[in-house]
Amino acid sequence: MMKNKGGSEVTMKLDRRRFIFSAAATSAVATAGALFPGISFADWPKITTNSGVVSWQKAPCRFCGTGCGVLVGVVEGRAVAVKGDPNCSVNKGLCCMKGYHSVQALYGADRLTKAKVRKNGEMVEVPIAEALDLVAAKLKETRDKHGKNSVAIYGSGQWTIPDGYVASKLFKGCLGTNNVEANARLCMSSAVTGFMTSFGIDEPMGCYEDIDNANVFITWGNNMAEMHPVLFSRMLANRKRRTGVKIIDFATRSTRTSQAADKSILFKPQTDLAVANAICHEIIANDWVNWNFVNEHVSFHKGKTNIGYGTEDHFAFTDQDEAINFADFKLFLADYTPEKVEKISGVSAKDIKYMASLYGDPAQKVTSFWCMGMNQHTRGTWINNLVYNIHLLVGKISTPGNSPFSLTGQPSACGTVREVGTLTHALPHGTVANEHDRQMAAEIWGVPVENIDPKPTYHTVEMFRALDRGDIKFMWIQVTNPMVTLPNLKRYRNGALKDDRFVVVSDVYPTPTTDVADVILPAAMWIEKEGLYGNSERRTQHFGQIVNPPGEAMSDTWQIIEVARRLGFEKQFPWSQENYIEKIWEEYRRFHTGPQHEMASYKTLTERSGVQWPFVNGKETRWRFNPKHDPACNNGKEFHFYGKKDNRAWIWARPYEPAAESPDSEYPFWLNTGRVIEHWHTGTMTRRISVLHNAVPSSYVELNPEDAAELGVVNGESVKIISRRGEITIPVQINGRGVPPRGMVFVPFFDESYLINEVTLDAFCPISKQPDYKKCAVRLEKT
Amino acid sequence: MMKRHKQRNRWVVTAAALCCLTIIHFAGDRGFSAGGGNEDFDHQSGKLYKAYDAVPEPYLAADSGDRNLAGFYELRQYPGSPPRIPHPLDLTFKGNNSDCLACHAKGGYSAEFGKYVPVTPHPENSLCYQCHTQKVTDERFVPSTWQSIKPPRLGLSFLAGAPPSIPHSLQLRENCIACHTGPGAVVEIRVAHASRGNCRQCHVPAVQQESFSEFRRN
Repeated sequence: MMKNKGGSEVTMKLDRRRFIFSAAATSAVATAGALFPGISFADWPKITTNSGVVSWQKAPCRFCGTGCGVLVGVVEGRAVAVKGDPNCSVNKGLCCMKGYHSVQALYGADRLTKAKVRKNGEMVEVPIAEALDLVAAKLKETRDKHGKNSVAIYGSGQWTIPDGYVASKLFKGCLGTNNVEANARLCMSSAVTGFMTSFGIDEPMGCYEDIDNANVFITWGNNMAEMHPVLFSRMLANRKRRTGVKIIDFATRSTRTSQAADKSILFKPQTDLAVANAICHEIIANDWVNWNFVNEHVSFHKGKTNIGYGTEDHFAFTDQDEAINFADFKLFLADYTPEKVEKISGVSAKDIKYMASLYGDPAQKVTSFWCMGMNQHTRGTWINNLVYNIHLLVGKISTPGNSPFSLTGQPSACGTVREVGTLTHALPHGTVANEHDRQMAAEIWGVPVENIDPKPTYHTVEMFRALDRGDIKFMWIQVTNPMVTLPNLKRYRNGALKDDRFVVVSDVYPTPTTDVADVILPAAMWIEKEGLYGNSERRTQHFGQIVNPPGEAMSDTWQIIEVARRLGFEKQFPWSQENYIEKIWEEYRRFHTGPQHEMASYKTLTERSGVQWPFVNGKETRWRFNPKHDPACNNGKEFHFYGKKDNRAWIWARPYEPAAESPDSEYPFWLNTGRVIEHWHTGTMTRRISVLHNAVPSSYVELNPEDAAELGVVNGESVKIISRRGEITIPVQINGRGVPPRGMVFVPFFDESYLINEVTLDAFCPISKQPDYKKCAVRLEKT
Repeated sequence: MMKRHKQRNRWVVTAAALCCLTIIHFAGDRGFSAGGGNEDFDHQSGKLYKAYDAVPEPYLAADSGDRNLAGFYELRQYPGSPPRIPHPLDLTFKGNNSDCLACHAKGGYSAEFGKYVPVTPHPENSLCYQCHTQKVTDERFVPSTWQSIKPPRLGLSFLAGAPPSIPHSLQLRENCIACHTGPGAVVEIRVAHASRGNCRQCHVPAVQQESFSEFRRN
């Protein structure tokens, strides 16, 4: 079936967006103008036949990577209420506004309930079996005609573990292509490469109990008060309960986190690299180094410098590590005295010394938190390394309260993308490049080992570049919305719209991504199917099917199984709909056998509100690398960093290098993007929750009041934000919940009516390939 | 884990939905919190006694008639959901502790709104905007097919003349004084005998629910 993508069709495709845009423009006036209409009542229709009897069932929350336990109240097959699960150690009974109203996201009137395929340019409803036939046929035809690497699957950290597992098994194991990526690449791949380069093994060594034990919290570019509010509340509770607990917010803009913190320290974008090095400089200069720890457990390394930004197609980079010693490291840090770094970073030498003294004081237990600020960074791997450097120099790691803690933003970024390995280079255990790992995968999957290609193909940005170039012609997108989230978005949307590109989208609501689809598969959402997530603290969380999916909506896992069978892989996908999640889990679990990553059984997971791995002999592991807690430690010492061959954690000499694009006379402002507490990801779910949409109905741009005055705009007026890639016109918010410093603007990215990613730059960290959504240069025009 | 599971059954049977606001700053350091608090809400009567001690008797007994149950539910998506913030907040609202708790920790009369202020039953959770949303528009993004459930009936007594049972979960609402006494209380659920503080001497939690089935035991 050829797609007719003539001009009229593109217009048709965009009609839905236009409609939403005009609606949003109306509500934008309300938001930005701070109008307050009369209260209208939440006069929802009531289920009238029930006797007040509610049954409650456990699930992990659908939204962020915190992994709160929720109890979903069900009446007559409908989810009607939510409570925090008091038995879940993550949140102990408390949720945030998104969690409490999460079940309302199931009931948007525009749920996709039928499959649609493009026929003569029109999307036409068809039985889902027919759509799956077409997906399988088109995949096969494309592969036969253009080779195995012309087909791709793109999922997300919202994939359940079984979703990602069957995707990897089908594409890597059966179809022999490493074209498997997930939007977690855009979200936490720098965290992964940070862990791999510093520790040789992925995911945090600590757990949320660190929050109850630390005296000092330093948030690195991380607005936790809005992004991880349940964990932030736990931090506030600790501060309230005990004396001398401090929260330091180290960030590029003033946020609710800055306001709650004991001290807010602002730095210029990208200079966190310099400040982290200056903190190490101070720790060494004052001899706050924990020598016992460093001598026993640390080795020193350096890598390549001037490593580029990946803005060109086919960009390739491989780091090369070189062993150095402490003296070399100290010499490297000579460039980073607090006084010198003050000039680069705008952070006073006094504040740098203050932060160093907190890390250096042996009496303080220090936990550092970060998320997108450090990960969405063209030197994301480096800044992850540098924060580990600080903790390693003072030995504050892997013990309760001493924790460099990398948070995640999606409910199963860890569980599905990092642990299942749904990235081009990865397998459920290890990497495609490793022969032993390929053999293990081939054996468990029941495929010839030659099927698994040892060469990685495309990381996410390059995958969409390949779609634009035509190297990829078939792409299946599940549970994510790249037509809102990709940086430099115009290029990739135009690429997806090109003739002879075939795009399949599995989703629960219409989105800008379903707008470019040739086939739309209606998906079962969250508790409409059984599944498992994995949160930020190595916790695997099972949920059963609690309500039925609407219409013909089907779980993403089962969609993949249906297509795999149509392609002739019945042997690899033999499961029945009654127990496929259990069977898949038990098969997948074999990849992680052993004390470093042992996972709990299906039965155990169904009985508990999440289980932390390694789960050995019925015991969860709270702190890895610490033999008091971690059964994988076997060196007889106080710590065992077994991820690296030298059994040590690695300190890296990583310099400050500037951002890919910095403000200049033509484009004088930094553009920073991010989230608000009300909305999650691209808002496709949270915007359909009235309480949340009513609170923040549309996006806006935060301006510093002085910049706004200079530009002559007031709250609610619009400005045009222009970069070298694109422009948007958007209402201004001044002195709202976030205030950027002079020379920076901030735009929440949730709103498809204001596609800020048409303005952002597709530069990425050369090691992690994660784009930097926090820094590019723009200019503003009053409209 | 087994043990905790049983505990849950115990409190959870007492569970469900309704009240919300309170009086007094009590025991912020010992109450339930997101971090490491006691998970057994049925065991937190301390909050109630402290609140009773701290609130002057005239305030307990005062009645303004400002709030009614219809208005109470209008702010909620389902019985027990965190209510929206029903009054304007200007754009500089930062959600600091002091902003909300300045009024909602202790109650009292607000000249700004010309009403008595409802009191939160859980002032120890100071990140108020974590759960409570503002409202700047009435519009919906798209229509919704959401249906709520009927709130619990008032005056549920097992015997004629017996004290009514508690029809909602105690989770985050352990302090009866906060919502059921004082001039900020909803009139329909205000108690007529506000001078008494040992509420659960007479009122038993009784929530109609199916037994919990969230853990499937194979």
